[in-house]
Amino acid sequence: MIRYARLLRLFFRTELQYELEYRLNLILEILQTVVVTATSVGAVLVLFSYTTVLNGWDLGAMLVLLGCFYLVQGFGELVLQPSFEKFMEHVRLGTLDFALLKPASAQFLVTLRHFQVVALAQMALGAIVVAVGLGRIPSVGAFEAIGFPIALVCGFALIYALLLALSTFAFWFVRVDNLMALYWSFMDAGRFPVDVYPGWLRVTLSSAVPIGVAVTVPAQMIAGRLDAIGLGFLVVGSATAFYLASRFWRLGLRSYTGASA
Amino acid sequence: MISTYRALLVAQIQSAAQYRVQSILWMLFSVIRPVIFLAAWVAVANSQGGQIGAYDVRDFAAYYIALSLVSNLATSWNAYEFEFEVRMGRLSPKLLRPLHPIHYSVVENLVWKLTTIIPLSIVLVFIALTFDARFRTTPTHLLLFVPSVLLAGSLAFLSGWVLATLAFWTTRVHAVSTFWDRAAFIFAGQIAPLALLPGPLQAISLALPFGYILGVPAEILRGGVSVTTALELMVGQVFWVVVFYVAFQRVWRVGVRQYSAVGA
Repeated sequence: MIRYARLLRLFFRTELQYELEYRLNLILEILQTVVVTATSVGAVLVLFSYTTVLNGWDLGAMLVLLGCFYLVQGFGELVLQPSFEKFMEHVRLGTLDFALLKPASAQFLVTLRHFQVVALAQMALGAIVVAVGLGRIPSVGAFEAIGFPIALVCGFALIYALLLALSTFAFWFVRVDNLMALYWSFMDAGRFPVDVYPGWLRVTLSSAVPIGVAVTVPAQMIAGRLDAIGLGFLVVGSATAFYLASRFWRLGLRSYTGASA
Repeated sequence: MISTYRALLVAQIQSAAQYRVQSILWMLFSVIRPVIFLAAWVAVANSQGGQIGAYDVRDFAAYYIALSLVSNLATSWNAYEFEFEVRMGRLSPKLLRPLHPIHYSVVENLVWKLTTIIPLSIVLVFIALTFDARFRTTPTHLLLFVPSVLLAGSLAFLSGWVLATLAFWTTRVHAVSTFWDRAAFIFAGQIAPLALLPGPLQAISLALPFGYILGVPAEILRGGVSVTTALELMVGQVFWVVVFYVAFQRVWRVGVRQYSAVGA
C-alpha cells in the first residue's frame, strides 16, 4: 500500500514538472477554468432570480451541488481522462505489454498513471463553490461533516468504475473513444440535481451512467438531506461497482494480444 | 463553382458515411445541454405555479427543442481544427490548392448537418412528447425561420473562422474559443430564453452577436415573437453577418502573409 502511494506521488511529480515547463499555458488554462466556473455559477444565479427553491434545493444547497459537480468532474479530468486515453492508445498500439510486465498491479499502473495537473484548479474552485454554498446553510452537523468526504470518495469511485468498464471494451473493439465522448456529454447533466430530470433521463443518469448519483448524493449529504441508510447504500453500491468493474477489466485483459503476438 | 461544390459534397458524404455511429453520438452534444436547462426551467416554473414571465412549462419545452435544432443547424467547429492545422503546418497544402480553404469547411458543415438531422429529429420528437411542448408557430414564422437560421449559421460560421484565423498569430486559439463559448453559454440563450435574462444581460446579448446565433432563430421557430419583432431581430442578424464577413476578409488577408508553416 505504501509502495503504491509512493508510486502515485512519483507519477504526479513528473507530470507536474512537465506541466510547469509551459507556464503561460498553465496560467491560461487556469484562467479558462475560472471563467467556466464563474459562468456556471452565473447560470444558477439567473435561474434563482426567478425562484428561491428548485425542486426543494435552495440557492445554498444548489451551490454546494455545483461545487460537487466541479469536484467530481475535476477528479475525472485530473487523472482518469488522461490515464484512460493513454490506456486505449496502449491497447491499440500493443504497448500495454510494458505495463503488464512491471511488478505492480497492472490496473493501478494503467488507470492512475497520467495526470492533468490543471484539473486541480478545477477541484479547488469546486471546493470554494461548496464553501460559499455552505455559508448559506444554517448549520452543518458532525454526521454531515464526516459523511461528506465519504460520499465524495464514493462518487469518485463510481466515476472510476464507470470509465474503467467503458474503456475495457477497448480490448475487443479497439476504438472506443466514442463511448468516452458519450460519457463526457452526459457528464454535463450533473450540474443539476438528478431529480429535476424526467423519468428516462433520470434512470440513465443514476444507473447506466451514475454521474447524477456521484454528484447529487455528496451534495445531499452535506446539505443534511441524507440519512445513514442512504449513505450506507452509496458505500455498498460504489464498492460493488468498483469490484465488478475491476473484474470486468481482468476479463477483458485476457483477450489482449500484445504488439507482435 | 457549382460543379466544384458537387464534387466536394460527394467526397465529403462518402467520408462521413464511414463514421455513422460517430455522427449519432456527436448529435447528442446538441441535445443534452438544451435538455438539461429545459429540465431546470421546468423545475423553476413548477415552483412558481407553472409560469415564469410569458413562459409556461410547455413554452419552455418548445423553446429548448427549437434551440437544440438551431444549435445543430447553425453551429460549426472550425476553430478547434484550424488551430491544429496551423500548428502542425497542415494548412500549407490546402493553401496551394486553387480553392479557398473556407469552401472545404462549408461543405464539411453542410454534410455534418445532413447526416445528423434525421437522428436529431427523432430524439427531438421524443423530447417534445415527454415535455408536452407547445409551439405557437404560424406559417409566417416558419417562412421567417428559414432565412433566420441561414443567417445564424453564416454568423456562427464566419465568427468561428475569424476566431480560428487568430491562430496565425497565436497558437492558443483554444483559450480564445473557450472564452467565446462561455460568453455564448451566458448570452446566446442557452441558460435561459433571451427574454428571461436579467435586464443588463439581455441588453448585452442583443448588443453583441451571441443572441443572434441561437436565441433569435429559436424564438422565431417557436413562434415566441411577433412578426415585426422577428424582422427587427433579423436586421440585427444581417448586421453581424456583414461585420464578421468584412472582418474575416481583412484578417485572412493579413494572416496568410503572417503564416509561416511550422517546419518550413
